[in-house]
Amino acid sequence: MTIGTFILKNAMRNKRRATLSILSVAVSLFLLVTLLVALRELTLPPEDIGAALRVVVRSKISIANLLPAKQRPIIERVPGVEAVSPFTWFGGTYKNEGGLTFGQFAMDASKFRTIFGDSKMPEEQFEAFQKDMRACIIGKLTAEKYHLKIGDRITLVGTIYPVTLEFNLAGIYSGTIDDRNMFFHHKYFDEAMGDMGQVGMWWLKVRSAEDMPQVITTINNTFANSSAEVRAETERAFQLSFTSMWGNIKLFVGAICTVVVFTLILVSASTMSMSIRERFRELAVLKALGFRRRELFAFILAESFALAMFGALIGVGGAYLLYTFGSVSKMTNGIFITLEVTPKIIGTAITVAAGLGIAASIMPSISVAKTSVVEGLKTLD
Amino acid sequence: MALPITYNIRNVFVRWRATVATIAGIALVVAVYMIMQTMAEGLEKSSQNTGDPRNIMIVRKGSTAESSSQVTRAQLKEFNYLPQIARDAKGQPLLSADVVVLVSLPRRDGSGEANVLVRGVSPVGMDLRPQVSLVEGRWFTPGKREVVVSRRLSPRFANFEIGGKFRTGGKELTVVGILDGSSSAFDSEVWMDADESRSIFDRENYSSVLVRAKDDAAGKEFVKRIESDKRLPLLALSEVEYYAAQTKTAMPIKFLGNFLAMAMSVGAIFAAMNTMYASVGSRTREIGTLRVLGYRRRSILISFLLEGAFLSLVGGVIGCLLALPLPLLGYSIGTLNFETWGETVFQFRMTPMLAVKGLAFSVIVGVLGSLLPSIRAARLPVIAALKSL
Repeated sequence: MTIGTFILKNAMRNKRRATLSILSVAVSLFLLVTLLVALRELTLPPEDIGAALRVVVRSKISIANLLPAKQRPIIERVPGVEAVSPFTWFGGTYKNEGGLTFGQFAMDASKFRTIFGDSKMPEEQFEAFQKDMRACIIGKLTAEKYHLKIGDRITLVGTIYPVTLEFNLAGIYSGTIDDRNMFFHHKYFDEAMGDMGQVGMWWLKVRSAEDMPQVITTINNTFANSSAEVRAETERAFQLSFTSMWGNIKLFVGAICTVVVFTLILVSASTMSMSIRERFRELAVLKALGFRRRELFAFILAESFALAMFGALIGVGGAYLLYTFGSVSKMTNGIFITLEVTPKIIGTAITVAAGLGIAASIMPSISVAKTSVVEGLKTLD
Repeated sequence: MALPITYNIRNVFVRWRATVATIAGIALVVAVYMIMQTMAEGLEKSSQNTGDPRNIMIVRKGSTAESSSQVTRAQLKEFNYLPQIARDAKGQPLLSADVVVLVSLPRRDGSGEANVLVRGVSPVGMDLRPQVSLVEGRWFTPGKREVVVSRRLSPRFANFEIGGKFRTGGKELTVVGILDGSSSAFDSEVWMDADESRSIFDRENYSSVLVRAKDDAAGKEFVKRIESDKRLPLLALSEVEYYAAQTKTAMPIKFLGNFLAMAMSVGAIFAAMNTMYASVGSRTREIGTLRVLGYRRRSILISFLLEGAFLSLVGGVIGCLLALPLPLLGYSIGTLNFETWGETVFQFRMTPMLAVKGLAFSVIVGVLGSLLPSIRAARLPVIAALKSL
C-alpha cells in the first residue's frame, strides 16, 4: 500500500462521514461564491459596451424631477453630440401585477438604433416600430416571461401619469446587457398626456470618447442657474449613483455574509477534525510503529485538505455552472440579470477552502503530537 | 417507558468539543436568521407606526406612492369643505395638502448622493401627525426657505444640522430644527412649508392630502363620497391602510434572510448529523445495555431525537441572544425605499414572536439532523451492540 492509497482509504473509510464533510464544505463554498457574486453585482453593476459613448442628463434636484422639453435643441447643438432622445420612465403596471415588472421608457424611436447600437432586432421589426406611433419594442427576457409575440397588444396603466396606454408589440430585441425593458414613442406619450412639455431625462450619444468630458461640462454649464438645472454624467456614473443609494445596508449584508461563511467553516472544520479524533488509537499504533509526528501531521493534513478540496470542487463548480449556464433572472425573480463568477471570486473561494483544510487538521494534529503512545493506545473512543 | 430527560441533557455535554462546535454553528445560523428578520420587522413596523386611525389620505387613483401622486388645486377645492372633515377651534378644516419631492443630496461621509424625501406640509400638517415632535431648534417659518430634518437623517447627509445650509432646485435651504418621528416613516423625511416647496420645485399641484375625519362614521362616508365622485380621479383611504401597503422594500430583505437561513441550515443539519452519529457510535454498548434493561426501540429513538433537539435549542437560545444587541441599542440602518425611491431609515426590532420563530427554527434543524442517527441507534441489534467495544 502506498502512502497515497493509505490516505485515500482513510478518508473514505467512513463513507457517510466523508460524504457529510464534503457536502458541508460544498454548501459553504457555494454560499460564499453566491454572496460574493451578488455583492459584486450590487456594487458594480454590469456595463454595457455601448455605455462608453452614452451620456445621461437628469434634473439636478433628483431623478424623479422632470425636465422641460425645450432643452432638446440646446443640447443637440452642443459640439460632439451625435444624437439626443428624451427618455421618460413611464412606470406602468402590466396585467395588474404589483411590484417589479419591467422598465418602460418613452423615447424618440428614430434615435433608438443610434443610442442603443448594441441591441439586435430584425430590420423589418425595427421598421414596423418606426412607422406605427403606437408600437413598442420589448426585451427578449420580458417577452419570454409573459409569452409575448409580435402583434400582441400590451396595455399599461400609469402609476406616475394618469393615463392608460395601449401598444402593439412590433419587435423583440436582444443583445443589450439588460434585455428586459420596453421602449415606445415619446410622441404617443405626449399625445396621451396632452403635451405637457416635459420629459424624464435626456439620453445622448457622443461622437467619440474624447468628446465625452467636453460634452458633459458644456451641458452642465449651459443649464446652470436656469430654472431647470441638470446633471449630465456618463451612463456608468449614472448607474453607479444607484449603488450609493443602497445605504449602509450594503455594508451590513457584507458583514452578515462574513458571519455566514465563518459559521459554515467552523462547522465543517469541526466535522472533519472529529474523524481524526476517532482514530486516536490507530494514530498511536502508527506512532508505536515508528512514524514521526510530522509524518502523522502530513497524513492528517493531506486527508482533510483532500476532503476540503473535493468539497470546493463541488461547491464552486456547482455555483459556476449554475450562474453561467442557468437563467439568473428567472432564479432570482428579476433581482439580478447576471451573476458573473469571476476568476477572482473562484480564487477567493479556493483559498478559503485550502485554509479550511489546513485549519481543520491543526487541532487534532496538536493533540496527537501531545499524546504519548501509551495514552493513545488506551483511548477507547 | 421513556428515558429520563436528564440522561439526554447530560449526554449532550459528554463529547463537549464536537458539541460546542455544533452549538456554535447553530447559534450563528440562528443569529443571522434573527438579524435579517429583526431588520425586516423594523422596516415593516416603521410603516405600520405611521398612520393615525382618525386620518384619511387622498392620492391620485392608480398611483402607488405619494411621491408619484398628484392632487390639483381644483380637485382640492371640491372636497376641502366637506362636512365630514373635523375642524379646529377657529373653524378651519383639519386638512394638510402636502407636496412630496424627491431631492438628491450628498451623503455626509462623501460616499456619493442619495435621494431624500422632502415633504412640504400645510400649517395643520403637524397637528395631524402627533407622532412627529420637534427635538431640537424650532419649526420652519414659511417664506424664509427653512427646513426641519429628521434626527435619523441628520448623521447621514451633509449639512443636516441646525444652521446647516444645502442647495437644491437652485435655492439655498437652511436647517432650523430636528424632528423625531418616533420610529415612523417620517423619520426618513425633511419637512418644509408646502407652498414654499411648490414654488421652489416648480410644482403646480399637491402630491397628497391628509384630512382628519370627525369620527369613524364620518370617515367612511368621506371615503365613499370621494369614490362616488366621478369628476375626481382620486382615491381616499385611511392613513393606516395606506402605510400598511407600503411593504415592498422589506421583500428583498426577507428574501435574502430566508435564502441565507435555508442554505445555512443545510450546513447546520450536516453538522448536527455528524455530531449525533458520533454520539450514537460511541454509545453503542450503552444502547445495548438499555435495550437489555427493557427500554424499547421507540424510547431510544425519542431519546436521541430529544438529545439533538436540546443540543440545537441551546444553540438557538444563544443565537437569539446574539441578535439582541442591535434592536436593544436602537441601531438604525438606511436603504433605498422601493416605493418612494427615497432613503428610508429604520431600526432593528425584536418581538417575542420572532424569538419563538428563531427557537422553532433551531429545534427543526436539530430534529432533522438527529433523525437518521436516532433511527440507527434504535435499530442496533442488542447482541452486537453489547459485544462492541
